[in-house]
Amino acid sequence: MITLLHDYQASRARLFKEYKEVQREKSADPDIQLVCDDSNIFKWTALIKGPSETPYEGGVFQLAFSIPEQYPLLPPQVRFLTKIFHPNVHFKTGEICLDILKNAWSPAWTLQSVCRAIIALMAHPEPDSPLNCDSGNLLRSGDIRGYYSMARMYTRLAAMPKKG
Amino acid sequence: MEFSGRNDSETCPICLEPLLREAYLDRCFHAFCYQCIAQWSKFVKDKQSQSQSSSKCKFSIKCPLCKTENFSIVYNFDGVSFHRHYVNDNHHDSFFSSNHGLRAQCYRSEAGNLFNIQQYWKYHRYRQKNNWLQNWLRREIQTLTLEEDVDIIVHHIQGVLEAIFTRKGDSKQVTPEPRREEFRALLSDAAMPFLHGRTARFVDELELFLASGLNIEAYDRVYMHHLGISPPTEEARDPDPASD
Repeated sequence: MITLLHDYQASRARLFKEYKEVQREKSADPDIQLVCDDSNIFKWTALIKGPSETPYEGGVFQLAFSIPEQYPLLPPQVRFLTKIFHPNVHFKTGEICLDILKNAWSPAWTLQSVCRAIIALMAHPEPDSPLNCDSGNLLRSGDIRGYYSMARMYTRLAAMPKKG
Repeated sequence: MEFSGRNDSETCPICLEPLLREAYLDRCFHAFCYQCIAQWSKFVKDKQSQSQSSSKCKFSIKCPLCKTENFSIVYNFDGVSFHRHYVNDNHHDSFFSSNHGLRAQCYRSEAGNLFNIQQYWKYHRYRQKNNWLQNWLRREIQTLTLEEDVDIIVHHIQGVLEAIFTRKGDSKQVTPEPRREEFRALLSDAAMPFLHGRTARFVDELELFLASGLNIEAYDRVYMHHLGISPPTEEARDPDPASD
């Protein structure tokens, strides 16, 4: 019980530190905008820009972070709120298949660096461990154009501001 | 002593606060707060032991920064000595008794002027064989190196001591002081490769133990009195370290 309370306080302190860091370096990474929930420091959202030269370019994707009380011993739970067509993101739930969010987690990662890893994943999909089989199959069969146009379409539909 | 290659920011990568009780992993030497890295290593170990039923497997910890495999956490480094916490298990505890702990405390304090060292040299007391020496040496070297198997170092030091004390041409013409100097110099050379920065204190202690003429238990009592520690009661004393 005491250790649980200790973990809780430690993770609060660490999240507060990250919060201050985000406030201080707001413009440090223009591709990431991390926002903490007003009333709950264990809930965050992030807006990330789709990386250039990918079908996600020009899109802004929203991520939802749910942080366990044992953070940073345990990784944050992250999912896409914005619909995205990507082999490693579940099309319906937005769940992300990324090793650092599971077995390869290290407490030296921060919410900011997790966002960077997700941007890197958007640019370099891993079709061999797909959560979105359709997307994975397109890439694995070598149909880059098919993958690109589907991903592009969903970026336009879901991640770009509506014109007019 | 100057420390180079130190993290400029002095921030612990786990809690993101300034380093508190700086600790290092033994292979990659990345720095963390002792509490943070010890907690992380325990967390990883608990998780591993849940998934692998075999308790015999060797635990290591991957550095949170560089993923290098590490086997222990080095902490309380003061320029000369340090403590070491093995990730693997409590094999440290199986030989490290409360007596080792007491000795570690002795080594952190200044050498005491407890016994008459001059007389020891003057009256050639070193010619008497000290029956407790081997056990004493083993315990001291275990304390200083935090290694259990120190037989080689013990034999080496014993051999050097015998050579010094039984040298031919040992005559009354040699005055005590040069004899003492020679003892200290030869012993330092012998111990230095193993004990590094702690060699000088080790030589002090060894000389003190020999000069005392006491057995290990009596020597410890005197030392405890000197440090102002009350001796453990019979019940509270640690049982003999069971080795298996």
